[in-house]
Parts: sequence; C-alpha cells; structure tokens
Amino acid sequence: MPEFREAIKERLKGLSLAPAREAEIVEELSQHLEDQYEQSLNRGASEEEARQSVLQELNESDLLAPALKRIERNVPQNPVVLGTEGRTNMIGDLWQDLRYGLRMLMRNPGFTIVAVLALALGIGANSAIFSVVNTVLLRPLPYNNPDALVMVWDDQTHLGFPKDTPSPANFLDWREQNTVFAGMAAMTERSFNLTGAGEPERFDGQRVSANLFSLLGVEPQLGRAFTADEDKPGSRVVILSHRMWQRRFGGDATIVGRALNLNGEAYTVVGVMPRTFQFPTQRDDLWVPIAFSADEASQRGSHYLSVIARLKPGVTLLRARAEMSMIAARLEKQYPEQNMRVGSVVLPLHEEVVGNIRPALLVLLGAVGFVLLIACANVANLLLARAAARQKEISLRLALGASRTRLIRQFLTESLLLAGGGGVVGLLLSLAGLRILKGFIPDTISQVQAINIDAKVLSFTLLVSLATGLIFGLAPATHASNFNLNETLKEGGRDSGASVRGNRIRALLVMGEVAVSFVLLIGAGLLINSFLHLRTLDPGFRTDHLLTAKMELSELKYPDKERRLPFYNELLRRVSALPGVESAAVAGNLPFTYNGDSMAIAIEGHADLPPDQRLDVVYRAVGAGYFNTMGIKIVQGRDFNEQDKSDSVQAVVISEKTARHYWPGESAIGKRLKPGLTTSEGPWREVIGIVKDTRQNDFVAPPKMQMYFVHSQINYSAPNALVVRTSIDPLSLATSVRNAVWSIDKDQPVSNIRSMDEIVSAAVARQRFSTLLLGVFAGLALVLAAVGIYGVMSYSVAQRTREIGIRMALGAQRSDVLKLTITNSLKLVGTGLIIGLAAAFALTRVMASLLFGVSATDPITFATISLILMSVALLASYIPALRATKVDPMVALHYQ
Amino acid sequence: MASPILDRELKKGSAELLILSLVEDRPRHGYDIGQLIELRSRGALRFNVASLYPLLYRLEKRGWIRGRWVEKAGQRRRRYYRLTPAGEKILAAQREGWREFVEAISRITGIQHA
Repeated sequence: MPEFREAIKERLKGLSLAPAREAEIVEELSQHLEDQYEQSLNRGASEEEARQSVLQELNESDLLAPALKRIERNVPQNPVVLGTEGRTNMIGDLWQDLRYGLRMLMRNPGFTIVAVLALALGIGANSAIFSVVNTVLLRPLPYNNPDALVMVWDDQTHLGFPKDTPSPANFLDWREQNTVFAGMAAMTERSFNLTGAGEPERFDGQRVSANLFSLLGVEPQLGRAFTADEDKPGSRVVILSHRMWQRRFGGDATIVGRALNLNGEAYTVVGVMPRTFQFPTQRDDLWVPIAFSADEASQRGSHYLSVIARLKPGVTLLRARAEMSMIAARLEKQYPEQNMRVGSVVLPLHEEVVGNIRPALLVLLGAVGFVLLIACANVANLLLARAAARQKEISLRLALGASRTRLIRQFLTESLLLAGGGGVVGLLLSLAGLRILKGFIPDTISQVQAINIDAKVLSFTLLVSLATGLIFGLAPATHASNFNLNETLKEGGRDSGASVRGNRIRALLVMGEVAVSFVLLIGAGLLINSFLHLRTLDPGFRTDHLLTAKMELSELKYPDKERRLPFYNELLRRVSALPGVESAAVAGNLPFTYNGDSMAIAIEGHADLPPDQRLDVVYRAVGAGYFNTMGIKIVQGRDFNEQDKSDSVQAVVISEKTARHYWPGESAIGKRLKPGLTTSEGPWREVIGIVKDTRQNDFVAPPKMQMYFVHSQINYSAPNALVVRTSIDPLSLATSVRNAVWSIDKDQPVSNIRSMDEIVSAAVARQRFSTLLLGVFAGLALVLAAVGIYGVMSYSVAQRTREIGIRMALGAQRSDVLKLTITNSLKLVGTGLIIGLAAAFALTRVMASLLFGVSATDPITFATISLILMSVALLASYIPALRATKVDPMVALHYQ
Repeated sequence: MASPILDRELKKGSAELLILSLVEDRPRHGYDIGQLIELRSRGALRFNVASLYPLLYRLEKRGWIRGRWVEKAGQRRRRYYRLTPAGEKILAAQREGWREFVEAISRITGIQHA
C-alpha cells in the first residue's frame, strides 16, 4: 500500500492547523485514498495505475487547501491528544487531564481495581493507626488546660522505685510548702461493696482530695463536687461515675441526695460525673473524699498516694522540679528515718498517661508507613508497565507537540486520581479496621473509647493520599516523558532505551520493596519472638484450671480476723464440695492483679540496716492450702494448713529469692524474721517453707523478694480473693462459686470471676496488641512485596520472550531458562535483602524498649526472616520463570 | 456530462443536501458517502477528496452533522458522521426548498420528471 499521508500533509502545509487537527484530517483523508486505491486494484488496475489515479484525484483540483482554510479557521478544537503548544490554561488543562485520566482508568478496570486496592490497604492502615495516635498521643487530655497538670512522685531509685507513691505526711508537707502549684490533690484506690439495693456488687473507686475535680477543671454533670469541709474524717459523701449511675440506677435524675450503703455505711450521693470523665483511666466508678485521719496524716513511712498538681501560670516544669527537690531535701533532713534518700519527681500528666504506649504506637505508625511505601512501589511498577504499553500514545502526543511537562502533569493527574480512589476506599477500610482495633487496645490506655476519625485524621488521610500519588506517580511520569522519541517511532514502539531505563527503575523498586518489607518483617519477628518469650516465662504457678474471684469483705461486718475466719472456713468447705473442684484457698492480692504491698523486714540475729539500705519484701496474707491450689512449688518445708492458728507458732513462707538474699548458703527453714525493725512490736515469725518465686504484676519485671503470712496470724492484711483449682473448665464453676458465697452472706459481692489464664493473658495485652498489629502489617507487606516481585518478574519474562526463544532455539534447556530467570530475580531480591539488613540493624534499635528477652539484633530472627523472605521471593519468581520455559521458540521469534 | 464549471456550481448547490440526506438514516464515513453519491447518481455526480472533506468539515462546523471516531474490531478506526437535530431541521428545509426549485425549473423549462 503506497503512503498517501505525506502527499496530504504537503497540501495542508500552508494552513498551520493545530497539530491535533492536522493529524485527524490526514488520517481521515489518507484512509479515503487508501480505500480508493484498493477499489481501483479490485477493478483490475495495476498498482501503479491505482496509485496514479488516486494521486490524480488529490491533484485534480487545488481546492483542498483553500477550501479547508475557509472552514478550518476558528474550528473549535476537539483534541484527542493533549498538547497546548506552550499556551497554558491551568484550570482548563486540569479539567481535561482529570477527564482524560478518568477515562484511562475506567478503560482498564483490572489495573485500576488492583492499584486502588493496594493503595487503600496502605492508606487505610495509616489512617487507622493515625487515628489511634491522634486520640491517644496528640489530642489534649480532656481536662481544663491539661498542659499545666503534673504528677508528683517520690524518687526512691536506690530501692528500685524511681517513681514511688508518696506517703500522706510527705504529701501534706509538699502541699503546705510549695509555691509553684496552684493546687495539689492526692488519691488512693479504694473499692466499695454496694449493698441493700439489688445484688451486692463491688465497685472500684478512689479516695480523693476534695479539690481534685476543680484542679482538673471538670464539673460533675449532676450535683456538685466535694467541698473542703467534706475532706474530713467521718464525712460520708460520694460522687458516682456516669457509667455506674446509668447501669445501676438507670440514670435516675433524683440520685443526688440519696443514701447508698457502701461497705456497710450510708453515703450521700452529692454528684454524678459526665460520661466522658475519666481519671486517670475508666476503671473508677466512685469517688469519696480522702479525709485523712490524724493517724494517717502523720504516716511518713507508708507510701500509697498518687499526687497530681497544677502548675501556677508562668511556672515552668523545671522550676517546679527545682522547688520540689528543695522541699524533698528539707524533709530528708527533718525526717531522716523515713525520708533518707527520698527525692521527688515531677512529670507532665500527659507523659504519665501515654508514656508507656508511645513507643509501640510510633513503631506501628512507622510500620504502616512502610506498608504504604511498598504499596506505592507496587503501583509505580504497574504504572511503569502500563507506560511501556502506552509508548505509542506518548510518542504520538510528543510528535504532535505536547510538551514533556504537560505529559508529566497528565501522568501525575492519573496517579493522583488513583491515590484519591485509594484514599476514599482506605478511609472506609480504616473505619472497619478501627472497630476491630479497639477490641485489641488494652483499656488501661487513656481515651481508648474516644478513638475516632476526626477532621485531623481526614486531613492526614488526604495528605497521605496526595503524597502517595506523587511518590508512585513521579517515577513513571518522568520515565514516560523521557524516552527518545525518534527511536521509539523508528522502532515502531518496540523495546528501546526507554524500556531499559524502565527496567532499571523496576529493579530498583523491587529492591526497595524487599528492603522495606524485610525491615518490617524483622520488626514483627522480634516482637513475636519477644512475645513468645514472655509467654514461655514461668509465672511461678500453674495458670491453667484455676478460677479466681475477687471478694472484699466489708470492714464493718467483718472488722477483725475472728469474724472473717468462720466466713472463709465455711466458704472453702462449700466450694471444695462442688463437683469439679480439686482444692480451694483464700488469698490476698493475687499475682497479676495487684502490684503488691511491701515492707522492710528485720532478721533475727542481724542488726538493722540503715534506712536507705533496707530492701522491701512483698507480702501477702493467704489461707491454708494456698501454694497447693495455686500450683506454686514448695522447694523446702511445707504449705500453710489448718493447724496454723493465731495461737500456734507465728509462721512465714518466703520465696527462694528472699531466702537467698537473707540466708545465703544456708537453709532458711526455722530462721526467724519480723516486719519492720528488730525493735518493732510484734512477734518473730518462723520460716516454715520456701517456695518458688512468682511473677508479681507482669512478665517483664523480674520477681521481687516475697513472703507469705497465713491470714489467721496477722491483723493488717486480709485475703480479698478466692482461688479454686478445678479438674474441669474453671469458668463453668463461676455461678456455683458465686452462689456459694451468697448462700453464706447474701450481701457479699463477688466480682472479677476470671480464670487465671485470662488474667495472665490480660497482663500481656499491650504486648499482644503491638505484636499482633505489627505482625499483620508485616504480613501485608510480605504479600504486597511478593505481588510486586511476581509482577516484575512476569513483566521481564514477557519482555524477554524473544530472547528466551532464541536461546531455546539455540539449544538451551528448560532448566537453563529457569535458572536464568530465577537467578535474575534472586539478584534483585538479594540486593534488597542486604539493604534491608543494614536498615533493619539501624531501625530495630528504636524498638528496643518494646522487646523483652530478645536483642534488637537477634541473629536467629534475622536469619529466619531472611529465609522466609527469600523463599517467598523465590516462589514469586518461580511462576513467571516456569512460564518462560513454556515459551515456544517459533512463537517467540515471531513475537513483536 | 456538462462543463466542469456547471458541474461544480451544481454540485455546490446540491452537495449539502446530498450529504445530509445520506447520513439521515445512519452514520456513514467519508468514503462511504462519496461512494454512495457516485453509486446512486449512477456516476453522474462524483466528489473527490478535495471537495468532499471540506464540505463535511463545514457541515460539522455548522453543527448539522457530527463526526466521531469509531473503532471496530479488526478494522482501523474511521470517522463516522451522523445527522444532528439541527441538521434534521436544515435537511427538511433544504428538501422543501430544493423541491420547489426543481418544480419551478420544470415549469419553466418543460423538463418532466423522469
């Protein structure tokens, strides 16, 4: 077929038409001439005759140009190809780009869906984690001017308590002497048995200074806060939480002024807090005035308060610290016996509330950022492959006068459209994800229920989407606009220098993906390792088949051990008789539910140590058979039994660590100790047993020194829990145990009926939260990276079909081809892995505070993850490689 | 065949009507239109490329016909022209005008309809 285009172009030359319009006319006219040419041939003309007749037609009259000139002037442009020849019309171009971009995306629904989905996963994960970060870390605490709120602690670092709870007498002195705080309030936990109306129930609460609420700047929703007058012994007023008010009293508006029976005493309700109020966590349902008795107010040695204060306007944290240190030094001089080496610590409240979750959240935020980067790399890869397929379109546009910047803009518009779609879908995903996420966030973290998607999260998502669009769009866009026009046109759109460069970008992207997912996988691997390590740690007792129940006896009804004992004995008798129960015991402060009370001890035959060297020993009051029921191994000596009565030998059981510390190298059995000093009142207690160390409140801290008293022999501590060793599912006994209690005392609340497994599992909730999430994100990263590797290898195999065909035609075996392809892929993956290794070494250090029992550069984790990633990469490139071996040399050689 | 000049003038006067009529029932591409004119006039009327396309573009510019690139499987894309609503009105008016004109000529010249 002869070429008529040049002839037509020749005749249009003088018209200076817009390139797009000219191209259109040339196409239409040349088609017409070609049709005519063919028709002539069909009628029997020779090729030359046909060509001549057609050209003659074109020449017949010279009317074409003048006629067109009249018409084409001011013809409204309807360009299919974009090119503004230097004229710029930002808005118009943008609109055009958008429409064109949308058309392109709709024409390739498969590509669009995959790309949008990949981006949505990345963006959604980011939005979800950011909304947690936003609520927990960024949003100010829901108190008035929260930045001025601080917590004040004792500094007893020398005893292992860098943030110890202050004693009442010290607190009162602080409050009296300081000039930096506008107000100071103390609080201490107290639980209440509510009786007299419906089922007896136990509620957690706080004794608080009367000024706590005004200090926080939060008003009760109903009624009023405490008055200073009410902060005195004997006052019986209570403020309720919104939750308790709703649940227990159905939101009764007349609740204020009513009397409640709490711990056997009548308290008047003076207020109800708003629904959103929580301080410091959501746990508390009741507040009563702290109302120190004269005895309490003079205590300097018992540390049990939490102290919050508000800085005066203009006072800096530094100044407050300086002054508090001065006061502490003064008190140390004044009361050396109790205050030796006791300093003070002033910390912003926000730091207290979010400090321990911050590293985990930041690591997660980093992780989702990485996931998004991988998603970007994947989409960039897809776009690159598509840009290669669009080379013809691009070269046509360039030929028709589109500028390169204009092309880049068009490509970026398409990327941004994709990113926008990803953002919208991602936001929906994050909404769903948050709902799931909330279930895993330990509820000890402040503001968990307030987590939502607000304007900040929306703008974050928008920003991330825009940035994403730019990141994954830029490489393909510059690449696409950068190739050599002449070459492409000459080669008819076949492989050219551009695709070599494209391959290089693709290779870089794969390496990047591998490196980033390696870092993520290492992070997750370390956390999982650390979590597993936590779970394999021996808590010191058997957690399975153990039912626990909290049971705080009313101090009014059971003021002393003589009245408590019959209750416990009867309860144990009834519970032990239940089918499925192996043994039961009462206990004080179960492990993993309470940090433990501690005291210094004196050892018979040893002089008392100076105050700053006395080490505290955690103590518990337990009942007969406690160690047997808990499954705590008795190393030496015996368990408590019914013979340990108030008038028999005063006994104590100590942990191995205590024994080692006080009686190194000798048996502690038969030795005697007593709480306090050698000169303290109270009898010496004989060590009758040595038991294994048990974990106190978490797996992270090593067990402290511990000792156990039998509750029948002490007055200052009473059991508050029941433990039941069962042969069946412990929770199936919950109702019978509760009924057993109520059959003895119908007013006795039983709360927190849980299996020990649940309690221990809740103790690692935070670790589980970060491990689970990071694991999920790392998994996501692995899948995305695998998809990316697969995509690139498939593409390169497709591109090299011809080469492979030639090789096979020349005698290469399938195994050779397989080897060739996989070697190529492994080179990329290997390089990525090495980069990732270096990055991981540097980055996992920021995780050190989240890890336990595993070093941030744990070689086993590193080796395992490398292996996993290698295998996945191998698999991802194996499938395309296999396809390469199926290439038919004949087909391949014809392949264009 | 008459002289080239007459031919040209006649064609000029009738060409718009011819094209509009041809794309009335369905969209057609330029070559198709040219072929049909030649075929249906039994070779008496023939437009070459240089006159047909400027005509098409003019009609399109006036909004009487509208061209659209159509891609069909296995074929190269072609520009198909169809009648627009505005074109329909023009076609009706031109048909009427042309009918009156032909009648008037016949009455004067005594040429009868074939």
